[in-house]
Amino acid sequence: MKKYVILRLLQMIPILLAITFLSFALMRIAGSDAVLARMENTGVVVSQEVLDEARAELGLDRPFLVQYFVWLGNLLHGDMGNSYISGRDVFSTFISKLPATLLLTALAMAMTVVISVPLGILAAVRQNRFLDYVIRIGSFFGNSLPNFFVGLLLMYFFAIRFRIFPVISAQVSLQGAILPALTLAIAMSAKYLRQVRAAILDELGKEYVTGAAARGIRFSTTLFKSVIRAALVTIITLMTMSIGSLLGGTAIVESIFMWDGVGNLAVDAINMRDYPMIQAYVMWMAIIYVCVNLITDLSYRLLDPRVRLGGVKP
Amino acid sequence: MRIKKMTSCFMAACLIAAVLTGCAGTQAGEASGEASGTGESYAAKSDGTGKTLVFGDTTFNPENEEPDINPHNAYSGWACIRYGVGETLFRYSDTMEIEPWLASGYEQPDDRTWVITLKDDIYFSSGRKMDGAAVKECLEHLIQSHDRARTDLMIQEITADGQTVTITTTEPVPAFLNYLSDPYGCIIDMDAGISDEGIVAGTGPYTASALVSGERLELVKNENYWNGEPKLDGITVLTVTDGDTLTMALQSGEIDVAYGMPYANYPLFENEDYTFTSCATSRTFFLWMNFESPVISDPAVREAIAMGIDKDGFVNTLLGGNGYAAAGPFPDSFSFGGSQVMAKGYDPQEAQEVLEGAGWIDSDGDGIREKDGTRLSIRWLTYPSRQELPLLAESAQATLGQIGIEVIVNSTADHNSIRTDTDQWDVYASAMVTAPTGDPEYFFTTCCLDSSMVNNGHYHNDTLEALAAELSQTFDTKARSDLAVQMQQILLDDDAYVFCSHLQMSMVSKAQVTGLTAHPCDFYEITADLDIN
Amino acid sequence: MRRAYKNDAGISVRYQKVKKDHIRLRLGIFLALAMLLLLGALFARQLCPYDPNLQDYSNALQPPSLAHPFGTDRFGRDMLSRVIMGGQVSIFSTLILVAVITVFGTGVGVVCGYAGGLTDGVIMRICDVCLAFPGLVFALAVAALLGGGIQNAVIALAVVSWPKYARIARSQTLTLKNSDFIYASRLAGCRGWQIILRHILPNILGQIVVTAVLDMGTMMMELAGLSFLGLGAMPPTAEWGSMMSSGRSMIQTYPWVVITPGIGIFVSVAVFNLLGDTFRDYLDKKIA
Repeated sequence: MKKYVILRLLQMIPILLAITFLSFALMRIAGSDAVLARMENTGVVVSQEVLDEARAELGLDRPFLVQYFVWLGNLLHGDMGNSYISGRDVFSTFISKLPATLLLTALAMAMTVVISVPLGILAAVRQNRFLDYVIRIGSFFGNSLPNFFVGLLLMYFFAIRFRIFPVISAQVSLQGAILPALTLAIAMSAKYLRQVRAAILDELGKEYVTGAAARGIRFSTTLFKSVIRAALVTIITLMTMSIGSLLGGTAIVESIFMWDGVGNLAVDAINMRDYPMIQAYVMWMAIIYVCVNLITDLSYRLLDPRVRLGGVKP
Repeated sequence: MRIKKMTSCFMAACLIAAVLTGCAGTQAGEASGEASGTGESYAAKSDGTGKTLVFGDTTFNPENEEPDINPHNAYSGWACIRYGVGETLFRYSDTMEIEPWLASGYEQPDDRTWVITLKDDIYFSSGRKMDGAAVKECLEHLIQSHDRARTDLMIQEITADGQTVTITTTEPVPAFLNYLSDPYGCIIDMDAGISDEGIVAGTGPYTASALVSGERLELVKNENYWNGEPKLDGITVLTVTDGDTLTMALQSGEIDVAYGMPYANYPLFENEDYTFTSCATSRTFFLWMNFESPVISDPAVREAIAMGIDKDGFVNTLLGGNGYAAAGPFPDSFSFGGSQVMAKGYDPQEAQEVLEGAGWIDSDGDGIREKDGTRLSIRWLTYPSRQELPLLAESAQATLGQIGIEVIVNSTADHNSIRTDTDQWDVYASAMVTAPTGDPEYFFTTCCLDSSMVNNGHYHNDTLEALAAELSQTFDTKARSDLAVQMQQILLDDDAYVFCSHLQMSMVSKAQVTGLTAHPCDFYEITADLDIN
Repeated sequence: MRRAYKNDAGISVRYQKVKKDHIRLRLGIFLALAMLLLLGALFARQLCPYDPNLQDYSNALQPPSLAHPFGTDRFGRDMLSRVIMGGQVSIFSTLILVAVITVFGTGVGVVCGYAGGLTDGVIMRICDVCLAFPGLVFALAVAALLGGGIQNAVIALAVVSWPKYARIARSQTLTLKNSDFIYASRLAGCRGWQIILRHILPNILGQIVVTAVLDMGTMMMELAGLSFLGLGAMPPTAEWGSMMSSGRSMIQTYPWVVITPGIGIFVSVAVFNLLGDTFRDYLDKKIA
C-alpha cells in the first residue's frame, strides 16, 4: 500500500516534465510573447530597440531549449522565477491566490454534493414519474446554460434585485464565495445529478435487489445498505475528477465575480504570455490531477473490494 | 407506506450528502476562517467618516501594464495621473494644446535647450517643496529606469537652479513638451521614494494610502493641494476587469463611477439617476492595406474598399452611437485631426463603378467579381480582444459583399504573428492609439514609413517620406499641424489605410457625482473638482 | 406477497412489464424528436424565413414581433433564421466531436483496462498528461498552428476531452475484468479481443452512452467558449454558443439576443439527454 502510493507519486515526475515541456513548446508555437502582448494591450507601438531590450531582460531572446532548461534548473533550486508582467515572485504570487480558489472549490463541491446526490437518488427511485421528469428538466437547464449566463443571472437577482450579496466580492470571504460557488455548483449538479441517477439505476437493475426484495427485505434497507454504497464507486470517480477541473477551471466565474484566485491568474497569464506564471499553473494542475487520481484509486479499494490495486489476478 | 418510504429515503440521502460534505465543509471553514477577518463590502465602507467615492475601472491592472501608480514603471503613470496622485509639468487643454501645469512657463534658447520655470508654491504630499532640484532628481530617475521615456526625451543633461530647470537634449526633439506631458512625466518626490507596493508621493489632489496591484487603490485627500481644496475625503479605485460585473456594481450602488462599461449596457443608465461624460480619443480602429497582396495592390480595389465601408452605420448602429466615424487617424479634438482631411464616404454605387472600370466583373454570376481568372476575395485579419473589431469585420463582410468583394474573416488572438507575414492576409483591421502624446509624428514614424517598425502592409510613398523628414525638424506647432494634415491626406489618397472610427471614452456615474469630465487625451479623471452630494 | 412487494419497492414484475412497453414507445418518440432536430439542422437553409446573414441597420435590435418571432440582433439580422442556421453548425460539430472522443476514448480505455501492465501504464500516463494539461493553453496553440474556424476548435477540444472517456471505460473494465463470466469465457478459449468486443464493451456501453449524450450540452458550451479566443466559428457563421457569448452584455438590455440561441441549446440538450436515458433503460431491459 505504502509502496503503491510512493510509486504513484514518483510517476508524477515524468508527467510534470512532459507537461511543462509541452506547455513551454506550445506557448512558443502560439506566437507572440509577453513583450508583444503588453504592447498590444496598451495600444502604443514602441521601437524595435525597446522591444529587444525588454526581451533580453526576460531572456526571451535565447533559444527555446535553453529557456526551458534554465527554467527547469532554477526550479530544481526551488526558484520558479519572476512574472514577466508584474515582476513579482511567481511562487509566492501563486500561493497567495490559492486559498481563495480552495475555498471556492470546496464550497462549490459541497453545494454540488448536497444538490446532486439526494436529487439523483430521488430521481432514480422515482424513475419515469413526475418527480423524475421535473428533476431532469431542471438538470437540462443547468446543463445548457453557459456559466457566465448563470453567474450574471444570480448576480442580477441576488445582488441587484434582492441586495443579499454584493456584486463584487472585494475580499476573500465566505459570504463573497456563495454566489460564485453557486454558479459553479449549478452547472456541476446538473451534470452529476444525472450521473448519480444513472449509477443508482444501474445498481437497482441488478439481481441482488430483486433477490433482496424476494427475501422480504425492505426496499429502503436495500437502497441504503447496498445500492448506494455500490453506486458510490462511480459517483466518487466522477466527483473527484471534477475537483481537478474545478481547482483550475474556475477562471470565467472567478473573473465575473472578481474572485481573486488562481483561475483568474492563469487566464491573465495565458493572455499575456507570462511563461513562468503559466508554468506554475500547469504544474499546479498536474499535481492536483495526479493526487486526485490517486485518491480516487485508493477509494476504489476501500469501497469496492473486487478491485485489487494494480489489477492483480486472483 | 409510500410516503414513509419516501421520507426515509430522502432523509438518508441528505445524511449521505451531509457526510460527504463534512470533509469539504471543514476545509471551507478553515479557509474562510483566516480570510473572514478581512472580509468587508465596499458598499458598506462609504458610510464611514467623511465623503468618499468608489471608482470602478476595467483597465487598472498589470495586464494593462498598470500594476501600480509609479510613473517610472511601464504605463503606471496613467494610473498616477488619472487618479489624481501625480501631475506633469505641462498638460493638454481641451483642444489638445500644451499649457503649463506644474510649470509656469518655458523658453527655448536653441533647438536642443529647454528652460522651464516652475510654479513657486507647490509641495509634494510628502511635504517637500517642488523645486528645480526635485524635478531634476525625478527626471533623472525616469530616464534611467524607463526605456520609452529615455528614447522619447533624448535628454543629455539636466541642471537645476531654484525654480528653474534647464534641459539639453542630444538631438532636437520638437515634441519635447508633449513627451513631458505624457503620464510618465508625472513629477514625484524621489526623496520619499517608491514603496514596494509602487506608491509614490506626487503633487496631485489625492495621496495614495494603500495599493494592491490589479485589485484596488485607496486614496486620501491631499490637505496641502496647491490648486484648490479637494472636495472628497477619500476615494477607492477598484479594478473590475469584467465589464458586465462593473455594470451591475454600478446598478447595485457598490461603485459610484464606472470606466470601461460595455456599450450594450448604456441604455440601463440613460435616465436621471446617472450621468455620462464622453469624449473622442485617439484610439482609432482602422484598416491596413497589404501592398504585397496581388489583389490589394490594385488601386481600384483599395478605393472600392475605402468606399465600401459603412462607417456611419458601424458607429451609429453597431456601436449604438458610442464612437465617432473617422476621416483620418486623429479625432476632431486635435487641431490637425478630424475634418481637416478629406476621406472617401460610403458610396457602394461609386465603388462598383470603380471596380467595373478596372476590369473586375462578375462573369460567373456568383455575386463575386473576377478579373483574369482571379476572384475578388480578400482575407481580413483581425482580433477579438477589442469588442469593436469583430463587429467591424462582420459589417464590412456584408457591405463589401454587396459590391462584389468576398471577405474571409480570420479573427484570432494570434494576429500579432500573422500580421508580420504578408502572405497570410490582405486587410488587417486593428485598434491603435494614434497620438498618445497628442503629437502627430508618432503615428507616421511607427506605421507608415520605410523605417517604421510596424509598417505591416509595406506601404511606401516618396512624398510622404520627404514630408516626414521635414516634420522631424519642425518645431512650430502650427507648421507641424499643417504638415500632419498633408501627410494624412497622402495616406487617404493612396487608400493605404482606411480609418473607420475613434473610440469614445465614457464614464458613467451616479447623478450625485459632480466634477467628472472626460478629456480627449484620457489622462485626467480624478481632479480636485470631483465631488459627490 | 406480490402486492406488498410492489408497495415496498415501487417495482413489481407486472409494473416492469408495462414499463418495458413504455420504453419502446418513449424510445420511438425521442428518436423521432432527435431525427427531427437533425433533419432541421440538415435543411436549415431551407427552413430560414430570412437570409441569416442579411444585415439591415434600420431594423437593428428589434424585440420579437410577428415579422421576427425571435427579434433581430445588432446587425438587424433575423434571430430566428440565425438560430436555425446556428443549429446546423452547433449540432453537427458537437455530434462529430462527441462521436470522435467517445469512440477513441472508450477504445483506449477498454484496451488499457483489460491489458493492464505496461500498455496500461504508458497510455494512462499519456491520458494524464492530456487531462492535466490546461485546455486554454492548448487551444491557443491550435489556433496558432491551424488558424481559426469551428473544425479546429473541434480538434482542440477532442485532444483534451478523450481521456475522460478512456478513464471511465477503464475503471468499468477493471470492475468487470474479475467477473466470473469473463473467467469463464477465458477458460472457454476466447481471445482478448473477443472478450472485449463480446463481453466487456456491451456491458459498459450504457454508462458510456449516458456520459456521451450528457456531454452534448457541455461540449456545445466549450465550443462556444473557444470562439472568445478566436478559435471558434468565424463571422458571419452563426453558432449558438458564440451567439450567446457575444451577446452576453445584452442580457439586461436586449435579452432576446442571448435567450433565443439559449433556447436552441436547451431544446437540443433536452432531446439528446432524454434519448440517451431512454436508450440506456432500453439496453438495461434487453440485457435483463
